[in-house]
Amino acid sequence: MSGRSTPAPPTDIHDLDPQQFLEEVHSFDFWFEAVEGYLSGLTHGHKPDTPEAVLGDVERDQLITVLCNYCVGETAALEGASGLIAIAPNRLAKVFLSTQVVDEGRHLEVFLHRLRDLGVADPDSEVERRASRSLQLFKRRLLELVAGKDWEAAIFAQNVILESLEFAVFHSHAQTADPITREVLSGVVKDERRHIGFGENELGRRLRVSPHIRSRIGQVKKELDHLVLETLEETMRHLGSPRDEHERLGRAYLESVERLGFP
Amino acid sequence: MADPLEEDADAAGAAAPRQRFLLDDTGFDEVPKKYRRFYRKWQGAGDTLAPNEVICPVCKVVIRSSRELRPGDRVYCMPCMSRLVVVRTEAGTLEARVAY
Repeated sequence: MSGRSTPAPPTDIHDLDPQQFLEEVHSFDFWFEAVEGYLSGLTHGHKPDTPEAVLGDVERDQLITVLCNYCVGETAALEGASGLIAIAPNRLAKVFLSTQVVDEGRHLEVFLHRLRDLGVADPDSEVERRASRSLQLFKRRLLELVAGKDWEAAIFAQNVILESLEFAVFHSHAQTADPITREVLSGVVKDERRHIGFGENELGRRLRVSPHIRSRIGQVKKELDHLVLETLEETMRHLGSPRDEHERLGRAYLESVERLGFP
Repeated sequence: MADPLEEDADAAGAAAPRQRFLLDDTGFDEVPKKYRRFYRKWQGAGDTLAPNEVICPVCKVVIRSSRELRPGDRVYCMPCMSRLVVVRTEAGTLEARVAY
């Protein structure tokens, strides 16, 4: 029987061969050991003994609206990522997306638990009642792209646009949130790093070898940009964030699409 | 034809030996334990980068190497799974750019 030897890991991780690197980071082992580092010991995304802050009625109501919209975004990504597995062009992308599906399902669950903690008796109905129109439109369009089996456009909409928005908003919200919401958001942001990185790198590689898809992606960006920016404005208003923070987040969202060459 | 980025790194490498760094675990918990020493969180205003560090432009984590970084070097950001190349900016500082 011929054995397969496993090469010893290099002294410096940056010496890995690019293909070896991709095989490593797009694996369930990598995902499992990564999330174990920051999720183990948590209950519903936060330490079980973190105290609940006393929130005023208005503050609580605004937090509920914001969390309802986070649930819409997470549901969009959950449905989108699971649909994308079938059309992913290779095994590594399929395995990565399967880990993303688990992440998105967890995010939805922890946000729904947080809504219950805040006294919302039926979180699913509340999400439906409070969902932002622009975010619902974005979700519908994303799922149309997935159903249409448009891999590049769907990855752009989901892992570049939606995930960049979530990464920026969750990170900003965590700075001012009550302790439990902050812990929940911090865990979600750590997952989002993988999602935005996958989207930007996958699309960047595609654009490099198939530059003709650029104009189609540019059209999708044009179509979705205003929905994303409206959602961002709405969320930041509910969070009571200062104007300069809206602008900073708008720029953060645009950075990743600019790196891909979309003005 | 040789990759100009590699030539740049080689030329710099020939000029002076690179500093070596012993990397400690910084408490960064977003990658498997065996890789944690290669990353740390950016602490914001007041934080500075060592000669073996660059910031990932995608996810803003600080990437660390066991040797001094020079233009043309390849580094990986495991938290966001990006492959990056180190470049020198006009201001003379080192920066990482995504290599798709």
